[in-house]
Amino acid sequence: MTEKRFYRIGSRPAEIMLPVRGDVPLARRRLPFTRRHLLKWRSRLNPKTLRQERWLADKKPLWWTIALVLLAVSAPFLSNSALTVASIFCIFTAINLLWTLIIGTAGIFSLATLAVVGIGAYASAALNVYLGLPWPLMFLAGGVAGLIVGGFLALPSTRLDGLYYALLTMGFAEICRVFVQQLKPLTPMNGSINNVGSFIPRDWFLQRPGLLLGFAGAFVLMLLALLTFRIVNSERLGMLLQTAREDEAFAEAVGIDYRRARLHVFLISSAGLGVIGAFYAQFYGSISPAVFSLDQLMLLFAMIVIGGLGRAEGAAIGTAIVVLIDKGLLDLGPLRILLVAAIMLAVTLLTHNGLAGARNQFRGWRQRRQSEARARRSEKGGEVMPEEAIEIEDKQAIYYRRFQKRLRDRLKALITPELIEEHRKRPLGQHSDALSRVLNHFRRGEVADKYAILRQSGQFHAYKIVAFSGVRGAPPRLVDDRVYTDINEAYHAVFLLRVNDLMES
Amino acid sequence: MDLSVTLVHGLSLAAIYGLMAIGISLLWSSIGMINMAHGASFAVAGYAAWAASEAAKPLFLAAFGKTIAGTAAMAGLTLGTGALAGAMMGALIYLLAFLPIHDKPNFPVRSLIVTLALNLATVQVLLWWFGPRQKNLPKIFGTGKVEVLGISARYDQIGTIAATFLILGLVLLWLRVSRKGLEIRAMMQNPEGAVLSGISVRWTALPVTMLTGALAGLAAILLSQTIFVSPTSGAMPLIKGLTIALLGGLGSVPGAVLGAIIIGFLEAVIGAIPFLGQRYVLFGTFLFIIVVLILRPRGLGGLLDEARK
Repeated sequence: MTEKRFYRIGSRPAEIMLPVRGDVPLARRRLPFTRRHLLKWRSRLNPKTLRQERWLADKKPLWWTIALVLLAVSAPFLSNSALTVASIFCIFTAINLLWTLIIGTAGIFSLATLAVVGIGAYASAALNVYLGLPWPLMFLAGGVAGLIVGGFLALPSTRLDGLYYALLTMGFAEICRVFVQQLKPLTPMNGSINNVGSFIPRDWFLQRPGLLLGFAGAFVLMLLALLTFRIVNSERLGMLLQTAREDEAFAEAVGIDYRRARLHVFLISSAGLGVIGAFYAQFYGSISPAVFSLDQLMLLFAMIVIGGLGRAEGAAIGTAIVVLIDKGLLDLGPLRILLVAAIMLAVTLLTHNGLAGARNQFRGWRQRRQSEARARRSEKGGEVMPEEAIEIEDKQAIYYRRFQKRLRDRLKALITPELIEEHRKRPLGQHSDALSRVLNHFRRGEVADKYAILRQSGQFHAYKIVAFSGVRGAPPRLVDDRVYTDINEAYHAVFLLRVNDLMES
Repeated sequence: MDLSVTLVHGLSLAAIYGLMAIGISLLWSSIGMINMAHGASFAVAGYAAWAASEAAKPLFLAAFGKTIAGTAAMAGLTLGTGALAGAMMGALIYLLAFLPIHDKPNFPVRSLIVTLALNLATVQVLLWWFGPRQKNLPKIFGTGKVEVLGISARYDQIGTIAATFLILGLVLLWLRVSRKGLEIRAMMQNPEGAVLSGISVRWTALPVTMLTGALAGLAAILLSQTIFVSPTSGAMPLIKGLTIALLGGLGSVPGAVLGAIIIGFLEAVIGAIPFLGQRYVLFGTFLFIIVVLILRPRGLGGLLDEARK
């Protein structure tokens, strides 16, 4: 016997299915000290092939790993300028990830991201240059500075509405810029602090090994930011806030203090941004007030908007696009900003939530189209509504019901007064083709509610018509009280009843 | 420090910021859109007026010579061109930022992003087309000073204040008496109810965007009497207008007027205090607004509960 062929319908055949070995016990590794698994494996029995199969239900970690490994491996082969672009990409991705936490997870529309980064950078750079703080401790100093500023900024965040808070934070950035420029003893060089100690040795600066080391540092920074994003967004805090996003009143009613959770996320992100600030100052060896400027903030906003608010891959994709255009295509001149603006415009007009949400949006659109097509198909001859069809596990049943419907339609067309007359004359024996078809259909019917002729006990030639209950042990019910004295008449009466049922179905 | 000079300067600043802020506030309350391209309308109007005045200068010189009539014709031309260019820019904003997405999910944020992108793009196009050099608009109110009741003021300051009062009065009157104004006010009070009463969102939004664009254009011409026209000249008025609109409570016209007057005077005072000076102006304004917003989270406007949230 040949192997049964299945037609490739839907997206399931494209899924990579791994076999499950029945002779080996299932072993799933957990991350140490947690109950988390690294990958989301799922398995089920395929009802058609009757084989157990296993697939990766969430492939995002896979894509992340591939992309990150590609970036890390290709870095040593990049040119000097490309390496700088890659490093800047890593730094900005880290910033955007933490910003995504603030905007997406905590839902606080803060525009003070770069201001916090700048304050972390200035605080750590000043401590390093004027007080001789060694560079490893600069990260700590930056983090503490970010935490303090975050705490200060968080105070009005629960009182103010989205746009008002956005304006307030924008004003805060401007205040920082003016303040830093006016603080002469701290920043003698037109507002900037130079010669900041760094993890890159002084004589390697702007040399090949220095650039490579800088990229490695930025890459590690991005990985740490990703880890922070994962821990905050998808663990306890993120779950609490997700509930609050869906329904604030409900979240409060079940005892979730979402304002506090928001504050926590904000503080964690601010501390992280401060650390990034310290890194920023070390990476460039200096820090200037340009970090507080509105243009830089707008560019950062463009990144997060193009990628899509609230998702890690959105932050990475948007940053990649904007950094590539802004820093990679330097010879385009002012046209770069125009290009960024055009992309921003197109993405916002066409997608609901940036490029990261485009896939889901496309799937939703395709699903809608498919269900519309299904509805059109089932209007013609279906016994099964499209909504119902999704719920029926055994798809054979759907086709069986559809077949029965079409069969009944054909048989209804065959029933004519002549056919009934033919049956009345000779209920048994040889019939015409049409009558044979109709009778065969009746005979194949289900037992439940099938008609039968019951001879009345103790009487001669007395028949009544009953209908089976279809349940073993439950007696048949009487259809009507009429007593037939001729068996052929009774046969014909049953036939008429069934024709009646057929015509009504 | 001369108090009267500060007073006049503050009032003229307040007038221009008020034009910007009311445009932003009106747009937010009627169609729920934060227009970040308001600065772009401002800059485009400035350039359009400059181009028109450059083209018409020899013509007017030949026709009127250096007379009052020539200045008046020039004033009419620049103001008209500025308002027209602003209105065209408003129509562009309507076509790009309102029409395609006004019934889609997440409209307020998406329109904000689109207008921001429009702003970026416009500034770059202007920079590319006209170059970074600043342009000088003709002095439509003439130059000179006049002494009124012991207060000395420059012609352009008086002209700005008077023109703003005139324009705002006309706009508010139009909103009060005309059919379209009634529709816009209905939209401001209750968008859903307005739609149910048969007011088309699309046909109400177009005049509103064009009107606010024209207001930005007029503000550009008036402000260009004191500063130059440059591609980025729209950024500061945009920020000022936005802050004032927020200070007054978004969607509240009296709040915006009050906010404009307060901020205008605050700027003039800070700029006039010797040890603070011009570089602390923005610093001081933002500090003031932050304090106000922390005390009154929804701005100054007391009418806010009736307006769109």
